[in-house]
Amino acid sequence: MIQLFNVTKSYGRDSVALREMSVQIEKGEFVYVTGPSGAGKSTFLSMLYAALKPTRGQILINGANITRMRSRQIPFLRRKIGVVFQDFKLLNSRSVYENVAFALEAQGKKRYEVSKKVYQALKEVGLEHRLQRRPLELSGGEQQRIAIARALVVDPLILLADEPSGNLDQEVTLEIMELFKRAHARGTTVLLATHDHSLYQRFPKRVLGLEGGRLVMDHVP
Amino acid sequence: MFEYVRYFILRALRNMRQWPVLCSAAILTMAVALTTVATFFLVVINIQSLARTWSEEVQVVAYFQTPPAPTELAALVTQIEDLPEVKQALFVSKTEAFQRFAARLGDDAGLLEGVSHDLLPASLEIALQKTARNREGVARVVAALKKDRRFDELRFGQEWLERFEKFIELLKFVGLVLGSFFLFAALFIVSNTIKLTLYARRDELEIMALVGATKNFIQVPFLLEGALQGLFSGILALGFLSLSFQLLVKKSLQSFWLTPVDFNAVFLAGSQQLVLVLSGVLLGLLGSLFSLRKFVRL
Repeated sequence: MIQLFNVTKSYGRDSVALREMSVQIEKGEFVYVTGPSGAGKSTFLSMLYAALKPTRGQILINGANITRMRSRQIPFLRRKIGVVFQDFKLLNSRSVYENVAFALEAQGKKRYEVSKKVYQALKEVGLEHRLQRRPLELSGGEQQRIAIARALVVDPLILLADEPSGNLDQEVTLEIMELFKRAHARGTTVLLATHDHSLYQRFPKRVLGLEGGRLVMDHVP
Repeated sequence: MFEYVRYFILRALRNMRQWPVLCSAAILTMAVALTTVATFFLVVINIQSLARTWSEEVQVVAYFQTPPAPTELAALVTQIEDLPEVKQALFVSKTEAFQRFAARLGDDAGLLEGVSHDLLPASLEIALQKTARNREGVARVVAALKKDRRFDELRFGQEWLERFEKFIELLKFVGLVLGSFFLFAALFIVSNTIKLTLYARRDELEIMALVGATKNFIQVPFLLEGALQGLFSGILALGFLSLSFQLLVKKSLQSFWLTPVDFNAVFLAGSQQLVLVLSGVLLGLLGSLFSLRKFVRL
């Protein structure tokens, strides 16, 4: 599903975010990406949805080499990938419904299809009763659940989550983890970047450890 | 397809509602620029039409040293009327000239009491064909008449017509320069206004790109918004223009002392009004396009 071959990403001569990283992630896997701040976790995830291009090396997603992808093909790659961020990245001027519908509208889906899927996705994360609320009227955990619903509503092959629980307390984090586990159970490949050790101790899965831009650990429990 | 179109229109309208101040600023700026250019255009077409009215009165008047005998006159008139530029040659006798002068003096005609009726010279008033009412036509007729020694003096309103033509050329040039300047300024302001709205919505643009919206999908609502703003500004400009026509152009043209009483100032024709509105649409589209090219990058 995801293959990296000697991928290096540098921002100028002295700042190398990722060094010669090679890794293979199978379809349907659940993988933690861990490491301290500045280890290269976000850079790694950003390259998977083509927000960044590697300086050297090749990345293959579902067999397609995304390092050689034309910019007009990138949107179609992103439609197969759901992304969740630490800061949620929601549109605060829009309702919960509109925030989730946004992802489907961007793909030109029909109106009835949009409303059906948005309702299902929000029900899945337990927010079907908050359709018309604005994100800022809700708690941090609820906002993150909207973001997860937005990522999952398009039935992605891959779900990328960059420190999704960074701004949330332990209890809410466990609720969020439950949503990722459910998505994984449905067959979605999940990559979750975190520096929270307790997460992968509680839900043990494969762990990729990064440090100073190098892959220093690949542990399968 | 229909779903896309509906979505684009709704989004464009929604964007405009969301940023009313920026939107109104863009519409007003474009409307003012369009009105300025269109007012210049209106002044030029009216002055040109005035010039056409005047040029219809262009004629050559040939004054006789001594009036010819009737038979000689008839031959002369035929000879002159045979010139291709000439429409008609009309003899004005000394007495007729005196009567016309007295009529023109009106109430002051009493001043002419005791003055000899053959004071004024007899003349031939030569009206020109429509195609010859210009510098070249007049010059050819004058050259032909100058060969005839029987004429004492030739008068033709050539010089002022030339000056007037030059004035119209100048007016067109000034209109073009000022118009281009205003349009350019409007384009700059519109593109910057749209850039501001894009900046205010950069999160939205980022998220759109993140969820797999194509470049066109992101850009089209903004282009549509620009075009809609342009359309509104074009219609507004038409309103402004009709006001400036009634209050400014029409009145100032009618108060001009050389304007004939029956001269009717003209407003833009239907097709020209359409061009004005479409120019607004184009202006809005270009303004959006320039800012989007710099702003939306996937």
